[in-house]
Amino acid sequence: MRRTNWLAALLIAPLLLLILGSFLVPVGLTLFRAVQDREVAQALPETSAILAAWDGQGLPPEAAFAAVARELGAALEARRIGDVAQRMNFARTGMRSTLLRTARAAERLRAPYAASLVALDARWGQAETWLLLRSAGGPVTSLYLLRAMDFTQTPDGGVVQAPTDERLYRTLFLRTFGISLLVTAICVLLAYPVAYTIARLRAPWSSIALTLVLIPFWSSVLVRTTAWFVLLQREGPVNGALLGMGLLEAPAQVIGTRIAVVLALVHVLLPFAILPMHSVMTRLDATYLRAAASLGANGMQRFLRVWLPLSLPGVLAGGAMVFLLAVGMYTAPALVGGDRDQMVAWFIANFLNRDVNWGMAAALSAYLLAMTGAIVALARILTGGMVGARG
Amino acid sequence: MREHPLARILLRGATALVLLFLLAPMVAVVVLSFSPTELMVLPPGGFSLRWYEDFLTAGRWVLATRNSFVVAIATTLLATLLGTMAAIGLQLGRFRGKAVLVTLLTLPMVTPYIVTAAAMFFAYAIIGLTGSLLGLVLAHTVVAVPFVVVAVLATLQTFDANLLRAAASLGAPPMLALLRVMVPNIWPGIAAGAVFAFATSLDEFVITLFMAGPGQFTLPRQMYASVRESLTPTILAAATLLFLCSLLFLLASEVLRLRAARKLRA
Amino acid sequence: MRRFLAPLAAMMLGLFATPLLARDLTVVAGGGALQDHMRATLFSTFANGPVVDTAYDYNVGPIRAMVQARNVTWDVVMVEAPDLVRGCEDGIFERIDWSVVNRDKFMPGGATTCGAGAIGWGVSVFYDEARHPTGPANFVEFWDTQRFPGRRSLRRGARMTLEIALMGDGVPAAEVYKVLATPAGQQRAFAALDRLRPNLTFWTGGQQPIELVNSGEVAYAVAFVGRVANGIRAGQRYALRWPTLLYAYDSWAVVRGSANAAAGMQLIEHITNPAPLLALTRLWPINPVNQAVADDPDVRARNPLMMTNHQAGGLEIDTEFWLEHGPDLEQRFAAWLNR
Repeated sequence: MRRTNWLAALLIAPLLLLILGSFLVPVGLTLFRAVQDREVAQALPETSAILAAWDGQGLPPEAAFAAVARELGAALEARRIGDVAQRMNFARTGMRSTLLRTARAAERLRAPYAASLVALDARWGQAETWLLLRSAGGPVTSLYLLRAMDFTQTPDGGVVQAPTDERLYRTLFLRTFGISLLVTAICVLLAYPVAYTIARLRAPWSSIALTLVLIPFWSSVLVRTTAWFVLLQREGPVNGALLGMGLLEAPAQVIGTRIAVVLALVHVLLPFAILPMHSVMTRLDATYLRAAASLGANGMQRFLRVWLPLSLPGVLAGGAMVFLLAVGMYTAPALVGGDRDQMVAWFIANFLNRDVNWGMAAALSAYLLAMTGAIVALARILTGGMVGARG
Repeated sequence: MREHPLARILLRGATALVLLFLLAPMVAVVVLSFSPTELMVLPPGGFSLRWYEDFLTAGRWVLATRNSFVVAIATTLLATLLGTMAAIGLQLGRFRGKAVLVTLLTLPMVTPYIVTAAAMFFAYAIIGLTGSLLGLVLAHTVVAVPFVVVAVLATLQTFDANLLRAAASLGAPPMLALLRVMVPNIWPGIAAGAVFAFATSLDEFVITLFMAGPGQFTLPRQMYASVRESLTPTILAAATLLFLCSLLFLLASEVLRLRAARKLRA
Repeated sequence: MRRFLAPLAAMMLGLFATPLLARDLTVVAGGGALQDHMRATLFSTFANGPVVDTAYDYNVGPIRAMVQARNVTWDVVMVEAPDLVRGCEDGIFERIDWSVVNRDKFMPGGATTCGAGAIGWGVSVFYDEARHPTGPANFVEFWDTQRFPGRRSLRRGARMTLEIALMGDGVPAAEVYKVLATPAGQQRAFAALDRLRPNLTFWTGGQQPIELVNSGEVAYAVAFVGRVANGIRAGQRYALRWPTLLYAYDSWAVVRGSANAAAGMQLIEHITNPAPLLALTRLWPINPVNQAVADDPDVRARNPLMMTNHQAGGLEIDTEFWLEHGPDLEQRFAAWLNR
């Protein structure tokens, strides 16, 4: 027995190592990135140390002014200034020019530094600037997690809502959640009768119908999204057909609307709802139904009391799958969605690739992960409860 | 359970409509890809292979196709090997926490792709795998391997462990017994997992968007870039070819399923 | 099993080995027809060895990841001004070796620490005269939906759009950045966008505004002038309103840690020289940052649609302004879009 276990461990180990190294650790690293704060401590170590010891009253000691001038100059020379400038500018717009101006002037600045720095840029005479620098000293920060929920931190450490015209991310998560929920609901509602009908069709019709579901299941998500992009063009086939039938007077603008996003997502995800339901329904034990019939239940009662509860695990599995896939979807909203239809994934991609604000990308990923974790847990609890009830 | 005749008609009608909704866009793409003009209207008013010719002569499409297949083949080999080994290990082992282990190994399946992509972007930047084909293969393997594990585990349920014991009693070392006795019995599951891994890799787009370097355009990435730039029927030719691949996957998986079912009955 | 493993091992080794092999000098630009022409006139005429070129979508995230990973597979890359400045501050790009590249041939501001001026680009108002005989000649008229009814199209994003909004509200070009740096000015820009919003469609890809105007969905659009100019050369009856020009310069930079950095510098020297650039101007109305080419009367006469001929009245997009205010204003723009 022990030898078998050794063999088993040996067989599992390579994959476990791959998943660990290439998935679990990276995801953990991402979660850490969402709170990591090292730009200032790395580029301005001495300043950070002095500020950490400072009581936060009034302005910091002359040593802090001297250190910041010297270290900013060194960071410019060593080409490390961009990261720290972006980090501080993200906390407070305008810090970038203060830091860069100081770094460029560092060689010319003379003691007393408190006076010469303030003369260079009035911002150095404000306690807020120093408090911001101190709070960015690391090693961790709540800045990104707060921003990703439309909160900001005041220099004294309090948390307040972002100004109304800057609030974005709560709406974004609600929208992502809302679109995913709507798509899941539509998929489940469409999938159930289909799965039911296919499960009750006679051979060979059942196999043929199932194959017709499997064809889109096996084909590429991007191919199917592209298909909708083509079909829904203003001069595209759908508009052409509707105009031809006299149902429309002028071509409808569908690309760039919420309808297009939902349509494409439903199309892409529907097979993921049908297949689990179908597999549960084909395995339903017909004896239950016969027993119900012999007890005098009519068709509707048999469906509601027996078939529906027994098929619910398939509904939950399919629904959960659709929701999980929808929540992280990038392609469909990016291709067929409009200004108000982008989902969280689009912003993550933008922060990673375009804006190079990796803290925000990580914070948004962390929330998205938490959201899906909650969904998986909920689905587990619900199915677990049902299995228990059946047993 | 018999439905009311009207209910049955309604159900079958609804099913037919949903199936039409699922298939019509793909059929439209296939038809439009043979359009003789740049206009994408139905009916296309002619038949031409010019967009396929364009696809086959444009360097970037050919390169993207080559990249896609190199990565998909490497991913399939790696995912099938590691996934099958792990599934057999999970079936053989008698230890606590097996359910946790299965969950861990299949976690990439329930994680949003964008999160996986972001995580790999950060991690691979640290260890220097960004922009290398090896990095892309490892990334695709991570998202493809859970399907192999699940498929092989499923067929292992039907495998008679007594066969292994018989082999052992005849003096076969465990590894040999696995290779000569177990693998031949569960190969439909392995092959089904491999088909799925191949399809997953060929389809994958979001992770590739972050991981792949220049000159590493895969078919989905090239398609996305082209659609964003300007819509031409060449994209539809590419889509049709990818669609053809998916029909082959479907065929392969069905053949394998039937084989497995027959084996089970025997 | 061995039969199965051997090819796998060979393949893995092959994948590992790829980055270790000597790589051809790789240059990365924005793709499209312009890059095809650059390949024909600039890259292929480089005497010191073969040049491979690929396209990217101006996303600098992967460049950073590649430098951080010390796995640099791009050598020379065409970058936008804000990305060049930030990348230079962070050591993502090599300092240009001005002993190899001749500094004096560039227009003022074209030679910086890490970048050598490549080509200019710009956006301005255009419309199809076949559909609309007259159209807005400046941004105040662009905002005047009484005089010029119809939909308008702007790029989705804060950069350029907010400047345009202020000019649409009557702020002179020279004062745009001063006003936009103040909270009141930002408010004013978004208020102007609010007014135009019922008539606004935003585009994301460079070809979209052309297609929107061609199909008549949009009457007047702000689009990349190079694409509009190509349409005119192809026979379209576009009116291009040069006084509404906003422009900037892209630069060539060498990715830090590139194994081909030295060859990269030589390539940059070559592709910013008059001879290959003059060949390029015969194929495409580019806006070279090489002073001699930009001043060449023959080039100017041959390419009436070249931006160089018209940029005197335009607004140069302020790189430093957008580095400082970009994150904040882009988020506010995204929030505004969602309202």
